Amino acid sequence: MASSISSLMSAAEQGDSAAKEALFAALYAELHRLAQRQLARQGFGVTMSTTSLLHRAYIDIAEQEGAAFPDRTRFMGYAARVMRGLIIDYARNRQAQKRGGQFEITSLGIEAGNAADSGKLIQVSDALDELARADPGLAEIVDLRFFCGFTFAEIAAMKGVSERTAQREWEKARIYLHQAIRAELES
Amino acid sequence: MATLTPERWREISPYLDRALSLAESEREDWLKSMRVERPQLAELLQRLLAEHRTLSEERFLERSPVHPQAQTSLEGQEVGPYRLVSPIGAGGMGSVWLGERSDGRFERRVAIKFLNFAVAAEGGAQRFQREGRILARIAHPHIAELIDAGVMGNGQPYLVLEHVEGQAIDEYCDGRRLDVDARIKLFLDILGAVAHAHANLVIHRDIKPSNVLVSSTGEVKLLDFGIAKLLSDDGDPAAGTMLTLGSGAMTPLFAAPEQVSGGAITTATDVYALGVLLYLLLTGQHPAGAGPRSPAELVKAITETEPARPSDAVASAGPGTETTAERRAATPERLRRQLRGDLDTIVAKALKKNPQERYPSAAAMADDLRRYLQHEPISARPDTIAYVGAKFLRRYWLPVTAVAVVVASLVVGLYIANRERVIAEERFGQLRKLSSQMFDLDTAIRRLPGSTQARERLVSIAVGYLDGLAANARGNLDLIEEVGEGYLRVARVQGVPTDLNLGEPKQAEASLEKADELMDGVLASRPHERRALFLSAQIANASMILATEEHRNQDALSYARKSAERLDRFMRSGGAQKPERNTAAGLYSNIAAVDLDLHLYSEAVVYARRLVELGRSIPSDLRVVDGLTSLCEAELYQGHSQRALQDLQEARAISQHMIYEGPSAGIFDEFGTLLHEGLLLGEDGAINLGRPKEAIDLIQRAFDIADKAAEKDSRDALSRERVVNAGIPLGNLLRERDPGRALAVYDLALKRSEEAGSSVVMMRKRALLLADSSGALMRLRRYAEAKRRIDESLAILRKTKDYPTAQMGLDSEAYVVLSAWGDYEGKRGDPGQARQIYEQLLAQAIAGKPAADTDLTHAPRMSRVYERLGELDRRTGRAASAEDMDSRRLKLWQGWAQKLPNNSFVRSELAAASFSKAASTGVRR
Repeated sequence: MASSISSLMSAAEQGDSAAKEALFAALYAELHRLAQRQLARQGFGVTMSTTSLLHRAYIDIAEQEGAAFPDRTRFMGYAARVMRGLIIDYARNRQAQKRGGQFEITSLGIEAGNAADSGKLIQVSDALDELARADPGLAEIVDLRFFCGFTFAEIAAMKGVSERTAQREWEKARIYLHQAIRAELES
Repeated sequence: MATLTPERWREISPYLDRALSLAESEREDWLKSMRVERPQLAELLQRLLAEHRTLSEERFLERSPVHPQAQTSLEGQEVGPYRLVSPIGAGGMGSVWLGERSDGRFERRVAIKFLNFAVAAEGGAQRFQREGRILARIAHPHIAELIDAGVMGNGQPYLVLEHVEGQAIDEYCDGRRLDVDARIKLFLDILGAVAHAHANLVIHRDIKPSNVLVSSTGEVKLLDFGIAKLLSDDGDPAAGTMLTLGSGAMTPLFAAPEQVSGGAITTATDVYALGVLLYLLLTGQHPAGAGPRSPAELVKAITETEPARPSDAVASAGPGTETTAERRAATPERLRRQLRGDLDTIVAKALKKNPQERYPSAAAMADDLRRYLQHEPISARPDTIAYVGAKFLRRYWLPVTAVAVVVASLVVGLYIANRERVIAEERFGQLRKLSSQMFDLDTAIRRLPGSTQARERLVSIAVGYLDGLAANARGNLDLIEEVGEGYLRVARVQGVPTDLNLGEPKQAEASLEKADELMDGVLASRPHERRALFLSAQIANASMILATEEHRNQDALSYARKSAERLDRFMRSGGAQKPERNTAAGLYSNIAAVDLDLHLYSEAVVYARRLVELGRSIPSDLRVVDGLTSLCEAELYQGHSQRALQDLQEARAISQHMIYEGPSAGIFDEFGTLLHEGLLLGEDGAINLGRPKEAIDLIQRAFDIADKAAEKDSRDALSRERVVNAGIPLGNLLRERDPGRALAVYDLALKRSEEAGSSVVMMRKRALLLADSSGALMRLRRYAEAKRRIDESLAILRKTKDYPTAQMGLDSEAYVVLSAWGDYEGKRGDPGQARQIYEQLLAQAIAGKPAADTDLTHAPRMSRVYERLGELDRRTGRAASAEDMDSRRLKLWQGWAQKLPNNSFVRSELAAASFSKAASTGVRR
């Protein structure tokens, strides 16, 4: 892989769509690799939340890239999107009744069947993709909060806004997604 | 209506912002006004806001996709033999419900925990149950019992646990204001539980305050034991490990470095979390420090930064300090003292980044805590340079002997002021003798094959090693301090004159500067860091000695003040151990000696007194006597002769009882104190108590002791030095009274001086002996011999480069020899020549600092010069000049009489001066 993550990030931000794809692939590979490292352990396993996984990835990559690496915030923005991708991939796998990839993700609810909930996740993700076209900042918040589990305080710190603002953005995003999903179901 | 287009969304977005920021009540009014202005927009807004209400009720996206929603619709649901009663909460791993038995049997209530993972794979359910049952067998009074484990029809696993009611342990301790010992005792219960589980090969992995509850009866229960393992490892590599995602805000506050960075989890991981918990209980803070941290910062802190010592963490000034201490039933100061030392070490060991460096088990940690409670020595050792250095040894190879050089303990040498060389050389010689038996360094160096080159090479290796460590030590307080101390020790080897050294003062200075910089760095952010304060005092002390040796008096003075300031702060912070107090005494002694040397007598008194106090508190006779003798000197030069004598006599009384082992006699043995007291009583040409007969008596005794020892052992250089040291003042006292006896003394001393070797020091003494004895010879009218001796002594001083020089002040050898010469010329030779010599002396004396009218030590000699000149002038008929000299002499002593009205020495000098004046006036008339 020729380009470093940091240069991919710069290019992606400038609208280079090839770079965007390469970045997604690179981060996906990185996160996947990290997750697999947990799995490869014999004897003792480990639970690692998405947030820890992301932080670990950030540290690993930042160390490799050295001074050239841009800030955590931007990294987390991209990584969160990738994380969602990983989760959705898995959800799609479950829907297809295949035995889940290399790692099983926790279940979605106790009262509903699992397949249906995977379906819901995919719907949310599709709606999110739409939202990302209209308002990328909001989509990022959903990735960070819903798929990666960061708190409002953490998100606020990452985005350099107040917690109230982060919460409000979240509410807006929810409105959008909810009506988008409903509209989809109705049509 | 179709979904919002991006354009529409962008349009409506700011309005949504506004709407959402308003309270419900305000929103209605605002919408009303909107409807008037932008009706279409308002309608859309209304719909979206309605949507918002709906989605809120639905709790849309409320939980992350992986977290089951705790809904009330579950109430009453049957789970195995239990029935769900009400939700207790949502933990990090799933929702928890209160349950009771559905068959009506009244047993205790249970907690039913639904876990956040699916056991879809075949065999997974059985595996889960099997493992759950293994966990259930770990029964311990302080572990919340796992009653059962099961899997529901839809694959949802659950655990049935003992329902524990209680407070999180940190809140419990704070609420009841438990003191440090009580907290540790509670903590020991936890350790017992963890140890038990470890013995059954179960690791907790998630120890934190909310998992440690304390009931109202004070019983500790550890929750969620081993569940993390259950979640994570289903034993089948193909199926892979369960990965828990996004449980809300999971900040890795209690995560061990290896957990965060993906290393292996072992019992040491639990030890780490226990360390964090203990830290929290003791200090109220997280080891990564106070204040909010983003997860990434926290991760970095966990994996890289060494935590502050608990005792330092509670000491940092801040508003929370009082509260923290209060919650531990102490004052901040008391709390710090309780934590300092063993508890610091225990916590540090639990929190080591490298799991292999921690306590290997909870049981080991418990053992040390119990030892602490029983005031026994703990097994954990604070970091030493050798151990921490091992990390860097891969890069900085170090031969074992070099480590011995750097690490060997050096006692702070006693540096003696130049001023009173007689006594000074005495002590120094003693100490050198003593030290050569005691110091490892000395023998280590001697044992090395080869010459100075080998030693130098070792030193440069040591310095390189230290430089390497210093470059990597940032943030690691203990290491920084160790390196600072290392530089200090190396500096001593390189060139601080108290110790056997390589004679490279510039290099020693460089090392001391490095050390000083490191310590100043530490103290800038932690002004109360005791070890840095103490090291800083030692470093400044060593720099002070170097500066004094090189006559850089201003530098010496500022180092002295720095050393004193740091040392005072260190001593004031309390809790100094005995070896530290001993070292501190040595430092005070050096400071007092330098103050004496620089004629700063009031400062010298301060530090000599501190030294005496410290000596009494250690207790150490040696230090007390040292302090008393310095005190005596200072008081003497201030003119408080009576007090000086009392102090000296006290010193002598104590020293008579001091016992020293080894072939060297003690520093303040009989010889030393006899001589010293004798000088005080009647030293010629210096401040004394005007009791010459007693003085002669005491010094003669000292002289005899030394000579007897010299006689016995022809290789005893020390005793020969002593003969000379006693011989000079004894001869001088006898010169006028009994010149024959004086000469015998001088000649014996001269003989011994030849036997003692030809160092520069000894050569100077020979010159003194020769010059002084010329006076006796003159009294015996053996003028030619007198002249010969004077010539010989001048020749010696030329060789040692002490004559002629620009500075031949009142305390130089040159002064003595020149005075003798002047006397000779005045009595038997050329008066013109004599006058020239005296005038030269006078000019030098006047130009020299400090002046005789401000410094009593110089007054007698100055007075002598005036006296000689006056006599000379009288004999050569220059009456006016004679009167001038006499007047000056009188004025000098009148001035002193005003300053020190009760001083007998001053009074007698004044009387003599008045008499001369009267006589000369009489002559003129």
